[in-house]
Amino acid sequence: MALVAYLFYQMGESSYKKTRLKGDPFISGNRPSKDPRDIHVGGDNLYWGFTHALRKYLDPLVEGHTGIVNDYVYWFVVTLAFVLVFLYLLI
Amino acid sequence: MNVDLLLQSPVFILGIPLLFAFLTPLADKVSKELRNAVFIIGLLLTALFVSLMAYEVYTIGSWTYVFGAEDPTAITDVSFFRITFLADGFAVLATLTIIITAVGVGIYSFGNMKDFDDLGKFYTLFLLTLAGVMGMVLTSDLFNLFVWFEVTSIASCGLIAYHNERGESVEAALKYMIISVIAGLLLLFSIGFFYGEYGVLNYFLIRDSMDGAFIDILAIGLVMVILSMKASSVPMHMWAPDAYSEAPDSITPFIAITSLGSLFVLFRLIFFVFRGAVEPSSIGNLLIILGVLSMFVGVSMALKQSDVKRLIAYLSVSQIGYMMMAVGVGFATLGTADYGAFGVNAVEGGFFHMINDGVYKALLFLSVGGIIYAADTRDLNRLGGLAHSMPFTTFFFIIGGLSIAGIPPLSGFSSKLLIYKSVYLYNPVLAIIALVVSIVTLALIGKIFFNAFLGPDQKIGMKIPRSMILSMGVLTVIIVIFSLFPNYVVSEIIAPAIEALGVAV
Repeated sequence: MALVAYLFYQMGESSYKKTRLKGDPFISGNRPSKDPRDIHVGGDNLYWGFTHALRKYLDPLVEGHTGIVNDYVYWFVVTLAFVLVFLYLLI
Repeated sequence: MNVDLLLQSPVFILGIPLLFAFLTPLADKVSKELRNAVFIIGLLLTALFVSLMAYEVYTIGSWTYVFGAEDPTAITDVSFFRITFLADGFAVLATLTIIITAVGVGIYSFGNMKDFDDLGKFYTLFLLTLAGVMGMVLTSDLFNLFVWFEVTSIASCGLIAYHNERGESVEAALKYMIISVIAGLLLLFSIGFFYGEYGVLNYFLIRDSMDGAFIDILAIGLVMVILSMKASSVPMHMWAPDAYSEAPDSITPFIAITSLGSLFVLFRLIFFVFRGAVEPSSIGNLLIILGVLSMFVGVSMALKQSDVKRLIAYLSVSQIGYMMMAVGVGFATLGTADYGAFGVNAVEGGFFHMINDGVYKALLFLSVGGIIYAADTRDLNRLGGLAHSMPFTTFFFIIGGLSIAGIPPLSGFSSKLLIYKSVYLYNPVLAIIALVVSIVTLALIGKIFFNAFLGPDQKIGMKIPRSMILSMGVLTVIIVIFSLFPNYVVSEIIAPAIEALGVAV
């Protein structure tokens, strides 16, 4: 499979002629910027559609991670209570 | 080699890092070169004694070492207060995992931290953390466990706050300290329950004394939750992304290995000490619940991260979930025919994943440290094109990334396959969740790879020191070895660990 792909690639390479536009990145028809950082689409834009579709699940999850240490201790106490009740009921 | 010296290896594994931790700042007063030499000698000597202990365990079997006794290996009655260590297959698995990461991180630190002052203190804290986490996994006494737990917590806290010119680092260290203090106090509280009930602290004696009384359940529940929190299990994981992302880049995998150390202790206690006192399915199902939550929430939170270190930190939380779920399935089936049929394979998968996770997670954190060193940012929105200037780091990241995602033929695949197969037989839904989490993990590794390494050369990269390349290379070689010989790892390292816990089929 890799060999077939390579042969196709070589066929394209041999007939490739460099012109003014060929080889430039295509960004929705916009003229590419000279700054390479503008050409590279990445960061939060990647998987945007996926995370947007899951926003009803992800947003509350992110909001739950407040970064406040009181909440960290709160979850520890909640888990401890759950574990103790679970073990007590099952034994 | 004198056989007696080999039997003393557990005490050297703890004594050497402790001794060298205090020699390092003295050497620092003389010269940086001497300090570095003292540090690396301490680290390599510890690695040597871990290897010697492994050789001895695999050759003559396990033994208990009673510190300070006239003949430390001959005493079997440890009903009085003594510092005791247990050298067995499980201790070998844990110490090997820790020392591989420690050596990798230590070599990496030479290059990564070379521009910082006061490295004498840094290496002291490093070696103290190493001694602490080694003590946690080697001890066979609950009070000793508390002491090593505290040593690890205090030294790790210092390492997280090492960049104390940054408010975020100090904040992360403060949070870690609060969590660790609460965990430490409650651990002491639970030890008090055991001591009040039975008047002993040794693992063997507690195991033989426990009768499943209410006070036992209370103490077991406390110990389970405390160690799960230190292992960064959801929903008590929130300290981990803070601590991992704010610690110096070179030290992050080492903080992560202390979490893995807590998980080793948890598994040692539930299999070796608590097994007879509780219904296995109750603890097993609890581990499964915490494991599934960790896998799913960890990877979900990673989706929303644009800070590359926080992203890996959440993936790390997610991987802890695999181990808890697999070992939970194994524990839940203990004493039934299912244990022989697939439960033992689940435990094998879980333990194999632990050693794998220690190595590939270290490689990932270190390669991300290389990215940050070169580009001076950890924001994925600002990274790009680094493959042009950092081909080695790119290669190492690919190896670590594919391994954490469980892509064949890398080592992560071997352990995950064991987990999928065995967990499927317990409950197919668990296997499906594990597979989905692996797919999302791969997507997230792809996100980092695409963002940081692909794209046009932004000419922002600077050359990273050779020691950083060397340490990542060493870890990559270990991953390749684990990938090429997974059966050997399972039969020679994992199986003796399971046998040591007394649950071999």
